[in-house]
Amino acid sequence: MSGVRDRNASAWLLPNDGTRTNHRLRRDMRRFEDSDEVDAVVVGCGAGGSVMLQRLARRGWHVVGFDAGPFWDPDTDWVSDEAGSHHLYWTEPRVISGSDPVPMGSNNSGRGVGGSMVHFAGYAPRFHPSDFRTLSQDGVGADWPIRYEALRPYYTEIEQELPVAGDFWPWGDPHPYPHRPHRVSGNGEVFLRGAEKMGITAKVGPVAIPNGRFGNRPHCIYRGFCLQGCKVNAKASPLITHVPDALAHGAEIRADCMVTRVEVDEHTGLATGVHYIKDGRRRFQRARIVIVAGYSIETPRLLLNSASKRFPEGLCNDFDQVGRYLMVQGAPQTAGRFDEEVRMYKAPPPEVMSEDFYETDPGKPYRRGFAIQTVSPLPITWAEHVAAQGHWGADLRERMSDYVHWACLGALCEFLPSAENRVTLSRETDRNGLPVADFSYSQTDNDKMLMKAARGVMEEILHAAGAADVITIGRYAHLVGGARMAADERHGVVDSDCRTFAVRNLYIADGSVLPTQGSANPALTIMAVAARAADRLTG
Amino acid sequence: MAATRPNRFPGFDAASQWRHWDAATAGAVMKRLGPPPPFRYFTPDEQSTAVALCDRLLDLEPDCPVNVVAMIDSRLAEAETDGWRYEDMPEDGRAWSVSLAGLKSDAVDRFQIPFAELDPPSQNSIIGAVRKLGSEAWHGLPPDHVWSLWTRYACTAFYGHPFGWNEIGFPGPAYPSGYKNLGLDAREPREKADEGGA
Repeated sequence: MSGVRDRNASAWLLPNDGTRTNHRLRRDMRRFEDSDEVDAVVVGCGAGGSVMLQRLARRGWHVVGFDAGPFWDPDTDWVSDEAGSHHLYWTEPRVISGSDPVPMGSNNSGRGVGGSMVHFAGYAPRFHPSDFRTLSQDGVGADWPIRYEALRPYYTEIEQELPVAGDFWPWGDPHPYPHRPHRVSGNGEVFLRGAEKMGITAKVGPVAIPNGRFGNRPHCIYRGFCLQGCKVNAKASPLITHVPDALAHGAEIRADCMVTRVEVDEHTGLATGVHYIKDGRRRFQRARIVIVAGYSIETPRLLLNSASKRFPEGLCNDFDQVGRYLMVQGAPQTAGRFDEEVRMYKAPPPEVMSEDFYETDPGKPYRRGFAIQTVSPLPITWAEHVAAQGHWGADLRERMSDYVHWACLGALCEFLPSAENRVTLSRETDRNGLPVADFSYSQTDNDKMLMKAARGVMEEILHAAGAADVITIGRYAHLVGGARMAADERHGVVDSDCRTFAVRNLYIADGSVLPTQGSANPALTIMAVAARAADRLTG
Repeated sequence: MAATRPNRFPGFDAASQWRHWDAATAGAVMKRLGPPPPFRYFTPDEQSTAVALCDRLLDLEPDCPVNVVAMIDSRLAEAETDGWRYEDMPEDGRAWSVSLAGLKSDAVDRFQIPFAELDPPSQNSIIGAVRKLGSEAWHGLPPDHVWSLWTRYACTAFYGHPFGWNEIGFPGPAYPSGYKNLGLDAREPREKADEGGA
């Protein structure tokens, strides 16, 4: 693994004395002036933005990353507690609408350096080759302007940098992982047992948690609070996998700075920098190139809030593409009750996964498919499961007291892109006076059939494993799309290199560029797309 | 009245482990065992209705150490929302105020007594009616979204408190100790077996 350190030394730049943050690296960070025309500004320091910063800084570019949230220190800022982790989520106001409104916050929205990967579970599967051409292959969704093969080397790179642990992966483009699979807890045992009885292939991983030490990152302690931010520095997030190396190579990160508008020169048609608010003061950072990486809600919101004389409907929105084709995955969770104690709160929730149902099955009435994974709700989230069955009062308390006996599986159903699922600007404004995002979502018939099929399979697996009772809640997970990649400006916002069609020095490097989502957790693909875009940008 | 519940994990006390937790986590959790901050959001009238509502939603014992409504009031005062609101609902604080006024008015309509003064079965019948309304508007609000608001806030307060963890066998924070004994029916020394299950 010495090759990883040569190209990304982040894990070796962290302290090895039991603390989790290299404060000297942050204190000595290079700082640019607003009046400096830096080579690039990156708006958002999550999965896409942090990879961009690290790659560009490595090539000697002068780069500044902005994030609306804090520059986290896991020791002081994060707690091993569910209710105390609210500040990890984007909790600024947002409106949700449509026939199937999608809750935001803890479900899918990050805040601060590291983005939503700070609280993602840790699953890091690749997309399948079929995800890049669902329209030509299955007659649904969209074809990407690139094929899987264009991302393959970047998948391999990022899997080494996170790094990812798991069994040899037999689905999609079969491949091994750099780290051995982790041991599993009661929840994983239940899934493996049920799947084996049913003849379903299930594998351990892939999770972005090294199995063993990695640089100065310690071994996972199987604490189970992955969704509350990893205090151990074991689970990957850009805060520890890409930001340290970016800083060591001269990048600046400006945390607690909300970017409000991308400025475009009316005469040259080029982006000239970004307006942002720091400590209540409005400021402007000049830049030669602007890269937006605010994810599927904030990226479209920023473009729409950057309307000008040239772009009256919003920046890059000449063809009404900004904010559209936003996707979530249908993520029903089915739990089963076992006589044994499962204690699903122990060990990372991401343990075992099956992609047996990922591809289109010609024998089924629906197109595309779903993946099944272990999920392990902590008590507050588990109470949502129980309350969703209609229980309250004494009934709720009694059923909750049965917590240690329940195991839980979650599906990721590939919901199809639809132009009507989109972000627009609400009349409501935030404390800076900026219109907030209104996210409208409605399911298609195909989506509903997938949810039902996934639920059926999860119930069968749990019954096969020995569960007497099963309960299911409908929910959603992840976000992608909203400023998608396409062959031309009438079908998307950016080209295959993540460059906007409308402004030639404006790029988007986050999950919003994905035209389809497969049944895979998107973090790895977002990073791989950003790494490829950085290569294309720097030649 | 709150039912007497069997204690499935007798002697189990999650907070007794606080010395083994990191300082940031211990601070956040142990604060919940102390006095709640003063009420800042709810009016006294709203507070009385909210207390009765949460007592019923969670079947709280009269001596329950979890001050659910004080925790909700804190969140509303600090605008600590879940990061979204339904298009057909006002922001969370306003939605709480409107829905509490709705309960009060239902109680006066049906029993000529404020909600907080009603006996628990009558309170339950009013709350239960809201849950069963389906798509019919309730005081101008969609009842399913009101139900979601109430249960999300109430459950977050109760199951974020060590008292709530004790009765479900959840040990709470696990840093820096982590877990060593993984698997079905495997326990750490600090975990207690379920004595009332199966």
